[in-house]
Amino acid sequence: MTKFSMNTAKPSYKEKDSADPYLSLVIPVHNEEENVRILYDEIRVALNHLKKTFEIIFVDDCSTDATFEILRTINRNNKENYYAIKIIRFTRNFGQTAAMQAGFDYAKGEIIVSLDGDLQNDPQDIPNLLAKINEGYDVVCGWRKNRKDKTITRIIPSKIANWIIGRTTGVYIHDNGCSLKAFRKEVIKSVRLYSDLHRFIPAITTLVGARITEIVVNHRARKFGTTKYGLSRTWRVMSDIITVKMLIHFSDKPIVWFAGFGFFAGIFGLVMALVSLLNMFNGSQTTVYTTSSILFLTLSGSLISWGLLAEYFIKIRKSGHRIDQLNKP
Amino acid sequence: MGTKNIDVSVVIPISERHDDIKKLYSIYADELGNLDKSYEFIFIIDGEFPEAYQELIGLKNDGHPIRIIKFTKNFGESSALTEGFRQARGEAILTLASYIQVEPKELEKLFLAYDEGYELVITRRYPREDPIINKIQSYVYHFLVRKITGAQFKDITSGMRLINKKILSEFDLYGDLHRFIPILAQGKGIRLKEINVKQRVEDTRARYVKPGVYLGRGLDLLTLFFLIKFTVKPLRFFGLIGTTIFLPGIIITCTLGILRVLGLINLANRPLLILGILLIVFGLQLFSIGLIGELIIFTRAKEIAQYRIDEIIE
Repeated sequence: MTKFSMNTAKPSYKEKDSADPYLSLVIPVHNEEENVRILYDEIRVALNHLKKTFEIIFVDDCSTDATFEILRTINRNNKENYYAIKIIRFTRNFGQTAAMQAGFDYAKGEIIVSLDGDLQNDPQDIPNLLAKINEGYDVVCGWRKNRKDKTITRIIPSKIANWIIGRTTGVYIHDNGCSLKAFRKEVIKSVRLYSDLHRFIPAITTLVGARITEIVVNHRARKFGTTKYGLSRTWRVMSDIITVKMLIHFSDKPIVWFAGFGFFAGIFGLVMALVSLLNMFNGSQTTVYTTSSILFLTLSGSLISWGLLAEYFIKIRKSGHRIDQLNKP
Repeated sequence: MGTKNIDVSVVIPISERHDDIKKLYSIYADELGNLDKSYEFIFIIDGEFPEAYQELIGLKNDGHPIRIIKFTKNFGESSALTEGFRQARGEAILTLASYIQVEPKELEKLFLAYDEGYELVITRRYPREDPIINKIQSYVYHFLVRKITGAQFKDITSGMRLINKKILSEFDLYGDLHRFIPILAQGKGIRLKEINVKQRVEDTRARYVKPGVYLGRGLDLLTLFFLIKFTVKPLRFFGLIGTTIFLPGIIITCTLGILRVLGLINLANRPLLILGILLIVFGLQLFSIGLIGELIIFTRAKEIAQYRIDEIIE
């Protein structure tokens, strides 16, 4: 960690290229031409008095407006040497998760902070996030306690989703959807986000044993541009929740889960078989019970086999996700 | 062939349906010469076609820049193309069908687009002068492709494509996936352009295919459907189907169970119970498949190419 005292004129980040910045900001942007310049100015104001080196990584998810040009100008006009600006542009629109992952992949800072490019997050909160990280947490999530969005379509579904995510994954965070989060580099670099998993970053980071906390952050109404979400993603979120739950609780021992269900199915099957036997001695019909029994026993067998199959896939995984605990002091 | 740089490798898989190969070679080679491109032709003979083989040997002995790769049996066009790509030494690769589809004069347009920075230039034969039967086939096929993938290509079966060699490593072609190169490329975020080209008279003859081919095409579309929509999210697909099957099952079974507890019916003569349980069992199995799929994806997440970078400015 590089520290700079107040009386040094300006910390020289660009001169010694080998020194990585203290902080990386990862900002996915998509068609935010009105917002990026303001955001950039706000970041400078917010981080100026920190006296730390930082880099701002804008990930342009193939904007179709002037966003990229504005970013390019910002980059060109940057004469300061205590921060650097990096712009990553995609060849097509890959979505927010991919954009964040790209930012994390290219970030070099000790601490990595992600935030939205739409000005709804306030860069003034970043120092507070950093303070929490320095208290010893690995992940600090922002909590938009006073959300400035449409109540019906945004806030209520989000509350329900957060409640379900908390219940199922055991990671109780008020606001999983807030992009403003800070991570210790080792944590975020050891997980991999794909599809829409950015909503579950806190839960996913528990897989590598991260200590997670949250702080209340400022949330501002959208000034420019349109919001990019709707209500239509319920099934996708539900299915992702189930996936994440499975990953958290069973990615080490999937056989336990599958075999558990298989065991229940087996019990059902045996009970049916018993009923069928009793009926046989009574001289009444047995077909329905026998068939049902066979079906349940089949289910039991296949669930247990799939548990073994899942176990096998976990065993042969290459250097995929590290599910081991992080080395902690 | 010397060691000097080759501009274009022309890759042509030869299968059952092929026209006069000498003519095919000469018209395109002439045009490449006119465009001042250095070239090599790579013919992949996909199976036993002695006549084509003899013709090509003849051309080669006349000193033309031709390389011939002969497969021991028919392995399919995707394999032929993959092998051709691997052998290609050119900066760019031009694929052609084994029959003359497109007016050679149109090659210039492809190279213009290529020089603009497009990594894949595909062609649309327009206007089409096909017999009605082929028009209908093509319409239905493209309609399905559009519905399934959302891609707006008008003529994905046109074999003439100009490909930057650098992007080849991003493809893994098998089965009949070569047909969908434009769609796969779009999904990967490769810079591509579709240009209109003039159809050649030879291409307008009626083509008949065996009924089995339709089945094959249908299965390809199914493969494509999975590749595009659910590669990284199997539970979204299997879970949805599993749940829609499971729910009626649980409703039927519970209803019968409650009625039985109330003493209103006797279960032993109710085949409906079997249906209910069958649906439950089937639904759960599909759901489990989805979960295992998710597990596999998760363990291999590092290998998933999630984005493609156009430019990094520092």
